[in-house]
Amino acid sequence: MNQFTFEGKQRTVLLGGMVLGLVCLVLTFFIDPLEGSHHARFWSNLLHNTVFFTGIAFISLFVMCAFTTAYAGWFVGMKRLWEAMSLFLIVGLVLLLIIVAGLWGHLHHLYHWNVEGVSTLGHENYDRIIAGKSGFLNKYWYTFGTIIFVGVWYMFARKIRSLSLQEDTSGTDAYTHFKKIKFWSAFLLPIGAFTSAAMIWQWVMSIDAHWYSTMYAWYSSASWFVSATAFTILMLIYLKGKGYYQNISDEHLHDFGKFLFAFSVFWTYLWFSQYMLIWYSNNGEETIYFRQRLDSYPVLFYGNLVMNFVLPFLILMRNSTKRKHGTLILVSLLTFFGHWWDFFYMIKPGVVINAGGHADHGAGDHSDGHEVLGAAADHGEHASSFMAGYTLPGLLELGIFIGFLSLFIYFVFMKLKEASLVPENDPYMKESVHHHV
Amino acid sequence: MSAPVAPVRLPLVEGGKSYHDITEDIVSPTENAPGTAWVIAFLISVVTLGFGLFCIFWTIYMGIGTWGSNRTIGWAWDITNFVWWIGIGHAGTLISAILLLFRQKWRTGVNRAAEAMTIFAVMCAGLFPLIHMGRIWLANFIFPYPNTRGPLWVNFNSPLLWDVFAISTYFTVSLLFWYTGLVPDFATVRDRAKGIRKRIYAFLAFGWTGKAKHWQRWESLSLVLAGIATPLVLSVHTIVSFDFATSVIPGWHTTIFPPYFVAGAIFSGFAMVLTLMIITRKVLNLQEYITVEHIESMNKVIVATGSIVGVAYLTELFVSWYSGYVYEQFAFYNRAAGIYWWSYFGMMLCNVISPQFFWIKKLRRNITFTFFMSIFINIGMWFERFVIIATTLARDYLPSSWSYYMPTWVEVGIFVGTMGLFFTLYLIFTRVAPVVAIAEVKSILKTAGDQYIGEKANDGDHKNSAH
Repeated sequence: MNQFTFEGKQRTVLLGGMVLGLVCLVLTFFIDPLEGSHHARFWSNLLHNTVFFTGIAFISLFVMCAFTTAYAGWFVGMKRLWEAMSLFLIVGLVLLLIIVAGLWGHLHHLYHWNVEGVSTLGHENYDRIIAGKSGFLNKYWYTFGTIIFVGVWYMFARKIRSLSLQEDTSGTDAYTHFKKIKFWSAFLLPIGAFTSAAMIWQWVMSIDAHWYSTMYAWYSSASWFVSATAFTILMLIYLKGKGYYQNISDEHLHDFGKFLFAFSVFWTYLWFSQYMLIWYSNNGEETIYFRQRLDSYPVLFYGNLVMNFVLPFLILMRNSTKRKHGTLILVSLLTFFGHWWDFFYMIKPGVVINAGGHADHGAGDHSDGHEVLGAAADHGEHASSFMAGYTLPGLLELGIFIGFLSLFIYFVFMKLKEASLVPENDPYMKESVHHHV
Repeated sequence: MSAPVAPVRLPLVEGGKSYHDITEDIVSPTENAPGTAWVIAFLISVVTLGFGLFCIFWTIYMGIGTWGSNRTIGWAWDITNFVWWIGIGHAGTLISAILLLFRQKWRTGVNRAAEAMTIFAVMCAGLFPLIHMGRIWLANFIFPYPNTRGPLWVNFNSPLLWDVFAISTYFTVSLLFWYTGLVPDFATVRDRAKGIRKRIYAFLAFGWTGKAKHWQRWESLSLVLAGIATPLVLSVHTIVSFDFATSVIPGWHTTIFPPYFVAGAIFSGFAMVLTLMIITRKVLNLQEYITVEHIESMNKVIVATGSIVGVAYLTELFVSWYSGYVYEQFAFYNRAAGIYWWSYFGMMLCNVISPQFFWIKKLRRNITFTFFMSIFINIGMWFERFVIIATTLARDYLPSSWSYYMPTWVEVGIFVGTMGLFFTLYLIFTRVAPVVAIAEVKSILKTAGDQYIGEKANDGDHKNSAH
């Protein structure tokens, strides 16, 4: 079975998921514990999920190109899945444009640097530090970067996809398509490396506009890659269960399991390096980022480490757990959700500050958001220190997550349907089929 | 039947070698008298080493005042060399451990020499912190043990102490890894040797007879060591980067340092492997084992790691502006336009711009060009460390303490001396041990020999065995 059929039942379930997500997203527009925050819950959820899933699309393109450039042969049996995932960039671009539109219309207050007068000397909103960054943190760059860079990634994804499809029908022993794919893949790597860093600074790091860390881009990319690997494993096991991808054996899953293990450790390495260096130097401008998160978001902070390091590390340590479907599914679900949680943890604390604390930004110092959270909590019926949608993902956030995931899977299935699941005439196909760990 | 090989893969062993040819070709350099080129190179290396030893003696005898370091610039040439040598060592572990885990066949041609290089480079690196102590006779103070000196303990909070642990662990594991690989090859040498030579190699080969059980244990040990060595590659240079990044010095304190140092280390290490292998393959006539295909693969690693380093340089530069922190901004302004502008320029030119030539396939496969590039990159990576260390320290918070640093002949002598040490050891290595891993090359022959795959494959059944 090399031809994927998108069954009616799958369609119904996924559409149901999307409707659920949309309903939840709309509800967060109205149910927001932070009043007067320009619907921060709605906008930050949109940003969070968009960045997460667009990132997965980008990283699957990037890794596919890296593997191609490195003459990797084992994975080509499933490369149609990564092609399908990478094409989601176009949906990501549309979703990002909504945020861009919000930026221009001042519909949201995700980015404090977009506040009127923030970089105008003498204005009541003037912020010296943000003014210094205004050459980069402005709506023009944000718009330009989003459209051009994501657009370029998408063009690469399309180019590689179309060459790969042409190879199916008109590939020969000269392997001209393969050579062209190799060319475009190598071309993307430097472009992707530079531009993704610039975009993650804009999309996420600039929420905490005063704070900075040179590690940020690599850290986020590692997070994306673990998520993409987890998603790939889940999809392959699901599709195998449906009778597709019979050429993808436990040997391949074992290798994906190794990647999941290795990059979970790598992510932790980057996490640790960033945290440890900031903690060690104890420089107030930098430690504030972790201080806020430790004080007001402990569950996010520690949950992140447990889901993305401790559990995958312990579970995947053994050889056999990288081959058993049960353990692989468990860890993949865990890390996929874990890295979604990681982005939640990166985004939300800054959003809370931006939603409540403009006034005291003038002197260039930080509001740690504690009082904002406290005030919001007091406002509620019960004075819990947790605030759904901010300090923890609430039920609505989980619904939105399901919605975006359904959208992503729906899109991937649509693309899988368009072509043979197994690339024909790929020079590595035989190696991939006979792959042995 | 051997595993299928994609038709786009090129052979890694040329000349239609049989197993016996491989043994002959690789073992013979250890059996014949050395050539004139070797003798001359060895003499030069030993003389250089001798001069280095004299300079070390001079430093210890006269004191650290014989160096150009001053009150403002306390770390300069010595720590630059330390980081440079440690970085060079990383390629060996990457090739032996990480590429083993990734099952890259081309590693078999170069792993032995790269691992040897690692060990020698770490030895050279280890010298510098020891001499830098000034009072080397107190070197035992770095070991944390209960003592009668107060008791005086080491500072466990200091990354400099973590360095001691990281590097000694690294040295130990690299040595074990290297030796493990050598055991079956020593047995091969033993089986051909006579007299005292036979007895020496018999001892070194640990009674290896090539039983299936031996191979099985050897394989699992290699895999376990690879598993241990992989985090080690990352940890060693991470901790070296902590020496700088845990501080509050603008230009040093930046969170990207750990992965960026690791990438830079692999970058410089591969450059050194290329420098050595291009000469070795020519002198020992091993062109059929260390082929242009191997060189191209290494050049690809160079362009990849060089670009990672490039992304890191530009990230640092951008974030220094973005931080809005004037001291950070000044640190980078000073690097690019200050008194040491030429070293920053040299670093950018050698490490970021020049490797981009390797995007062109013709140049990746051009041996002369690669040789010059490898030297160029080694210089560039030395400059990188000099930029980070000396340039940054020369302009500290107090303009009244601003200073300039120039090395003295003693420091230059010590550096040249470590080169002498490195090449002396390497030259001895090429005489006493197989420079290419015999057993491992044999293991890939059926899937990478040019009589089996590629254009020259002579056997119809084997030709493009993927079909």
